[in-house]
Amino acid sequence: MTLRSRLLVIILIQTLILAGMIAKRQWTLASGTPVVLKTQPIDPRSLFRGDYVTFNYEISRLKLNELEGDDEFRRHDHIYVVLEPGEPYWRARAVHRTPPPGQLALRGTVQYVADYWWNPQTGASEAMPHINVRYGIEDYFVPEGEGRVLERPVEGEEISLRVAVDRFGNGAIQALLINGVERYRETLF
Amino acid sequence: MSFRKQLEQRLPHWVEQGWVSADNADHILQDAAAGERHGPRYLALAFSLLGVILIGSGVITFFAANWAAMPKLLKLGVLFSALWGSYVLAGVFERRQLPLLATAMLLLGVILFGSNIMLIAQIYHISAHYPDGVLVWALGGVLTGWLMRSQPAMVAGLGLGVLWTGLESQGFGREVHWPFLLFLAISAWPVVQLRWRIALHVALAGLLLWSWFAFIAMSGWDYHDSAALYLVQVYFLTYLALFLAGMLLQGRGDAQALAHTLQRYAAFAALGCLYLLTFPDLLRHARHDHLAWWLITLVALLLVVALAAWHYRRTAGAMRPPFLNWGLGLLAAVLVLLLANLAAERHLAALLALLFNLLYFAGLLWLLQAAVHLENRALVNMAFFFFAITLLARYFDTFWSLMDRSLFFMGGGLLLLGGGYWLERQRRRLTRQIAGQREGRA
Repeated sequence: MTLRSRLLVIILIQTLILAGMIAKRQWTLASGTPVVLKTQPIDPRSLFRGDYVTFNYEISRLKLNELEGDDEFRRHDHIYVVLEPGEPYWRARAVHRTPPPGQLALRGTVQYVADYWWNPQTGASEAMPHINVRYGIEDYFVPEGEGRVLERPVEGEEISLRVAVDRFGNGAIQALLINGVERYRETLF
Repeated sequence: MSFRKQLEQRLPHWVEQGWVSADNADHILQDAAAGERHGPRYLALAFSLLGVILIGSGVITFFAANWAAMPKLLKLGVLFSALWGSYVLAGVFERRQLPLLATAMLLLGVILFGSNIMLIAQIYHISAHYPDGVLVWALGGVLTGWLMRSQPAMVAGLGLGVLWTGLESQGFGREVHWPFLLFLAISAWPVVQLRWRIALHVALAGLLLWSWFAFIAMSGWDYHDSAALYLVQVYFLTYLALFLAGMLLQGRGDAQALAHTLQRYAAFAALGCLYLLTFPDLLRHARHDHLAWWLITLVALLLVVALAAWHYRRTAGAMRPPFLNWGLGLLAAVLVLLLANLAAERHLAALLALLFNLLYFAGLLWLLQAAVHLENRALVNMAFFFFAITLLARYFDTFWSLMDRSLFFMGGGLLLLGGGYWLERQRRRLTRQIAGQREGRA
């Protein structure tokens, strides 16, 4: 192999990997079904990548006895959360270990499993089997200085996200909405 | 004035005086010139690598300062052109016979590949399982190192691989991160083929670190769990097998340096495991009838026996050094004791510990003999290190509760002073002997 061809192989493979990351995300955005999810922004700021917001979705914590599907899960399990439209936000209807055929499901990874949770209204720990799930749509980078604005919405402001879910269960953030109005929208370039 | 220039001025006078022959004067000058080339070469490499780090840091801080103001397309343009540019420059420098700058550019390419993964993830809001990104980065480094025959790029790839397994094992609490072994096998192949010693150090250090993470995950550090005991035995056998592989590799003249490195890491890990088995506390764990552990131990044991037999066949004959013969006896005794330990009752822990201690100290003596024969000074130092810490450990175990505290500390002080002096003298004697052997052969 000549020097030129060896360098070309390296450049080609590394470029394809990077382009593949973009293509996969764009394919999900273009072909996915849009769903609007209720969220709470928390913990902004990245060390050297500018501001970002971490979202804690309503479907990030799933109460297993209120959902259809499987009941037994372990940490790091890949799961599929079946979504159904609600007014105004989509919500979880069932949770499965395997992709449910013919249904719109968002793929996630179980972060932890717990049998009890803290109820802030009663101030007590209650028996409630639940799982915490990460979907890969939790981080959203915004222009410098705007992360803190999103972190602390003013009274009456509701933040939600329009997420595209493709047929493999991958999710991608399409737009960030404040009170249902688009604030940021994702484009290819 | 450089040493070579001084020699150039003085040597004609020395030749004239008859102190040095004209032929020898030429040889001395050539040697001094080679030494000068050797010195600045490393200096140039150090400067080149420093330059790469500075450029990499500059790229990151530039993006941090201007990122928000740049449109997406421009961001992508900057990222891809920087990546391609560094590799193209590496090719240009390689063609112009500037290998150090070419190496530095390759390393910059590997750094930029990783920063591009992170920055593209940021631009497109990809918040996947982030150790996956580190793995892709590591593989990019390994690919660059392998294809371009660049040890620094391979070292970077291996280091990132170790970071990946650390994140998976510790950051995300995986039970045992087996995929790292596949990564290591893929990366180690070119390292061994190309005889890269620094990369081999990183790979073996990574293996040791991984096995430590796996040990934590599998044993759970539960005092009442027998997994820790079984694991220590399996680890000991596995690293003993690796040491024997190093001895087999030693037979191949062109791989002696790699064999030495392999022997060091394997001996360190194997001695560490055997050291743990000298403590009665570990041997008091209840042995549950875990068939799987028995089978794993037997497989590791058979591997050791097979490698020892292979080595015996290769060295059989009149020239076979005596330490190999009594080493075989020692090996047989250790293997029998390990098997007995699997089935032993807990109340025999003290007796087992005594036997393990005897074999451990015999093993250290064998290692010293082997180190002299294999001309591996690091093994001499290691054997003395383990000897010293075990001596102290036994002193604490034995006398802590028996002697008055002040006597205990005074005795310990005397042991440290006297033992340290004696051990250091012996260590220096053996390392001088190895150096003498090498010089004699040269």
